[in-house]
Amino acid sequence: MSVTFPHMGTLHIVLKALLTALGVRAVPPPPTSKTTLEIGARYSPETACLPFKTTLGNFIQALGAGADTILTCGGQGPCRLGYYANIQRDILRDLGYKFSMIVIEPDIASVWQALRRLTPGGLRPVWPAFRLAGAKLRALDAIEQAACRARPRAAVAAAVDAERLGALAAVDAAATPAAVEGAVATSLRRLASLPAGGWPEPLRVGLVGEIYVMLESCVNGDLIRRLGQMGVEIHPTMLLGDYVATHILRDRAALRRSTAVVDAAAPFLGHYVGGHGIKSIGYTAAMGRTGFDGMIHVFPFTCMPEIIAKNILPGVSEKAGIPVLSLAFDEQTGEAGTVTRLEAFVDLLRYRGRKGFFQSSNNPAEKRGV
Amino acid sequence: MPPTVGIPRGLLYYYYGDVWSAFLSRLGAEPALSPETTRAVIEAGGRIDEVCLPVKAFFGHARILADKVDFLFLPRVVSVAAGHYSCPKIIGLPDIVRAALPGTNLIAPTIDLRAGRGSLLRAITGVGETFGRSSLYSLYAWQRAWRQCRPVAGAVGCGKTGKLRVALIGHPYILHDSQISMDVAGKLAVMGVDIATADRVDPRAADQAAAALPKNIFWHYCRRLAGAALSFLGASTPPDGMIFITSFACGPDSLVGEQLRRQASRRGVPFLLLAIDEHTAEAGLVTRLEAFTDLLRRRRL
Repeated sequence: MSVTFPHMGTLHIVLKALLTALGVRAVPPPPTSKTTLEIGARYSPETACLPFKTTLGNFIQALGAGADTILTCGGQGPCRLGYYANIQRDILRDLGYKFSMIVIEPDIASVWQALRRLTPGGLRPVWPAFRLAGAKLRALDAIEQAACRARPRAAVAAAVDAERLGALAAVDAAATPAAVEGAVATSLRRLASLPAGGWPEPLRVGLVGEIYVMLESCVNGDLIRRLGQMGVEIHPTMLLGDYVATHILRDRAALRRSTAVVDAAAPFLGHYVGGHGIKSIGYTAAMGRTGFDGMIHVFPFTCMPEIIAKNILPGVSEKAGIPVLSLAFDEQTGEAGTVTRLEAFVDLLRYRGRKGFFQSSNNPAEKRGV
Repeated sequence: MPPTVGIPRGLLYYYYGDVWSAFLSRLGAEPALSPETTRAVIEAGGRIDEVCLPVKAFFGHARILADKVDFLFLPRVVSVAAGHYSCPKIIGLPDIVRAALPGTNLIAPTIDLRAGRGSLLRAITGVGETFGRSSLYSLYAWQRAWRQCRPVAGAVGCGKTGKLRVALIGHPYILHDSQISMDVAGKLAVMGVDIATADRVDPRAADQAAAALPKNIFWHYCRRLAGAALSFLGASTPPDGMIFITSFACGPDSLVGEQLRRQASRRGVPFLLLAIDEHTAEAGLVTRLEAFTDLLRRRRL
């Protein structure tokens, strides 16, 4: 059995570790690229949302690379994600692919069934496998956060990217939770000790919206890295580990955080609308109050929960006194267009706060020397 | 003077509008229904970004009513059955209207029947309280209103022989709004086509047909449409063709429509997908309908 799964950011590192430790062969799809998007969009319904198309492309590429089993998630709505697997299975079958699909629905019976199918050698490796995967999950989040913090401050932003890639590779290679922790500690130290010389007081901008577009750099115009280069300390409100803690493990601290966000959203949006719509509202309201300079709201074109959020955000922005930029992404989105809008938004934030206004050159170090 | 309560003519109005209106009258309010959708209504709704045409039209209706009435009646229908949801945009509707029309008095009770009927009872008594009615009276008023005009199938077309038979599948708030649907039903009738719509299918039969799908369609109204479409396809004499009419950017329809297209093609029934938005040109639509009906006629030869 060769198991593949959809990409989302760096999730493949976690899933590969989990499946390998359970005793099955993991075949991660080739990294998501423009080709993936093209293939996926070609066989998808026209107005399906971007994650549907991209993950379909992932599956086609992985089946071509020798996978015979697809592991993916289900759901109970009202977001479309819950219905993805069903349609993707039909599309792939009609294209002539032979495979089996393991769909994990959010109920105990379904999780148990999936686990039995993925542990041909018995349940003995389950606990250590999940421990290793959990350690990697936490490590990846820590690395992302450290990189977001370091990028605007570093003299050379590209050095941060290189460190980050090295750290991801080290986490990927680590075979035990202790090794993961060792690798991540080393990487964090190295990130912190990169020579400073960028923006001493970067803008602080929150990133809200739909988790897939937020985490998948190939579809969002590499937004997190680019904002870092523009001198912005970006705070993604959703990372892999946080998502797993809230929705899968139902960890108490994470749930408390989630309740606080829903409370902050209540004056503007009174009910869960699927996906992360209510969090986009709640985080914007809360981060506006805690001194953030701006918010960026990203989502796939036609995403239902985030379209509701988008229509409510102008009012939240006004009440909370924080500028918000909403960006929709689909397979037609051009990178240059995204960058121009980000630059304009960052300029606006600088003018607004006059924070580093006189350092508007691309090379702040040189300016300060004058 | 009794307080006036505006009911926008859109979305779930096409399922429950008559019941809402009768209920509000019994509570002593004066329901005011917005006029039929026109271009002007859709333009008035254009302020809402990136939503589907029916939601834009709905907002147009709400905006037109807002200055003229004391309240707007906008129940938040989260779910009307266990395991089912409404579309997210319907769930978020009161918040979108509140954000875009600040200062409007909304009556927006939450109805969520995923965990029993409690929330419906609370919604009924809550609306009653707005008009100073006791819980008991409100429940009685709802009961009478529901009996008087429970949602019934508004049958369109009939089964004459010899004519082309086409199943026309689409949400009632698209099909029965001749501005949004560009009167597709009327146009097909002129072309000599006998149409059958989803509301002609017995809800129980539709439910059974939908239950045969490998995955539960968790959007209630889409599930009903899909079930009806599958009943048509599975009938002893399936229709000559199937037209699925949807609004551009409708989330649930984008996936459910794909599933119906595949089911229809497996059964050899030609399938036409019509996605409509405010830029759809009437001439283009007519051409597509003509081409489709020509194709169906040729297949019959």
